[in-house]
Amino acid sequence: MQLSKKIVVLGHFGVGKTSLIRRFVENSFSDNYKVSIGVHITKKVVEFEVEDTMSLILWDLEGTDDIKTIRDAYLLGTHGVVFVFDVTRPSTFQLLNSDLDIVKAKLPKTPLFVVGNKVDLVVVSELETLFKNNNIKTNFLTSAKTGETVEQMFLELAKLIK
Amino acid sequence: MVERDKVELLRDILFTEDREFAKKIAERIKIIEDTIDEREKLSEKVNPIISKQLDDFVEEIPKKLGPTITATLKEEIRKNKEEIVDALYPILGKMIKKYIAQEIKMLSDNISKQLSTKKWSNKFKSWFSGVKEEEVILSNLSVSSIEQVLLIERGSGILAASYSKTETIDEDMISGMLTAIKGFVEDAFGQKNQNLELIEYELYNIHLQSFVSYYVAVVISGNYSLEAKDKVQDLIFDFYDDFMGKNLDSLFSSDDKEKREKVSRVSLEKQLNKKFGNAII
Repeated sequence: MQLSKKIVVLGHFGVGKTSLIRRFVENSFSDNYKVSIGVHITKKVVEFEVEDTMSLILWDLEGTDDIKTIRDAYLLGTHGVVFVFDVTRPSTFQLLNSDLDIVKAKLPKTPLFVVGNKVDLVVVSELETLFKNNNIKTNFLTSAKTGETVEQMFLELAKLIK
Repeated sequence: MVERDKVELLRDILFTEDREFAKKIAERIKIIEDTIDEREKLSEKVNPIISKQLDDFVEEIPKKLGPTITATLKEEIRKNKEEIVDALYPILGKMIKKYIAQEIKMLSDNISKQLSTKKWSNKFKSWFSGVKEEEVILSNLSVSSIEQVLLIERGSGILAASYSKTETIDEDMISGMLTAIKGFVEDAFGQKNQNLELIEYELYNIHLQSFVSYYVAVVISGNYSLEAKDKVQDLIFDFYDDFMGKNLDSLFSSDDKEKREKVSRVSLEKQLNKKFGNAII
């Protein structure tokens, strides 16, 4: 029987949550920005080995500036979380650690990846210094536009929750 | 008398009593052998003893094992509250539903007694519902049919099993979206313990029956009357009752949650097919 796992993707407005999912599921990217309303659900089957697959049910939650307002109903039964922020907009990661505390309180013991997206628009070395000075720790730096480490990030999470 | 005869005589005198004794022993052994060989005879002797022992055992069980059994059950119930409630839910649901159905039937019978013909019944329905009489008659004739059934994990929206008459878009995604809609509506009105029960769109109705750990979504085409709803609920309760029975078997199969074998999707889907596949509602 194929295993199914629920992954929730959340973060502030316009950080690229939907684009990350679209890149991972459809391997495509669009510059047209459309605000997600409510929740959008997609599915991707990942294959670890022959006959060893997992269905990832990806819940793309609408962006919010106040993480506390995320509906608990959308988080129930979550197996893995991807918290996305925009590396070009400090407002989306200034309160990162307190945002993460809120997510961890809502989903204790659930594997969580912190992802800085739109990395194609910045100089990575400068970014690393900025993060170091502000005590920001990320699991992955991705670009939905170029596809950089997007698949790798989701596959790592899939392995972790397997 | 020769020496040999004398010895014989002496032996007779000395061992006569022993021989009698040995003969008696041999006779007793023969009786015992016969008793053992003949089942009936043995039963006569042994049954009262076994019966007495059993009576004593039955009498002693509540005293000796009672506290241990109670403690074990309490512990199991405490550890697996959700599963136990889940297993009881359809049974209680059925009981309540049957009770209400019976009460309504009695009420309906009383009304029917007063209204002698079907014509009057339709007129009555029409007056009450505000629906035209012709439409009431049409609704009596129209049929509904089950198109799809999904068994969905309540929190995560993960699909556990499905039955579908026709091919639809990915059922995993439907399950997720239904769960999101359900979660949103239930959350938005802030009423605890209230569940979204029906989604209507054009010619289709999605009946949602919530339990503790799972919910069942049934897609129905055609006229979804109260009578059809009643039949669908019965089918859901029957299915869920079976499912929870299997779940409990799995629950008590091991203390270790990881080692418990989940009810297989294949067997669940067979069951869904059997229950809903040819159901007439």
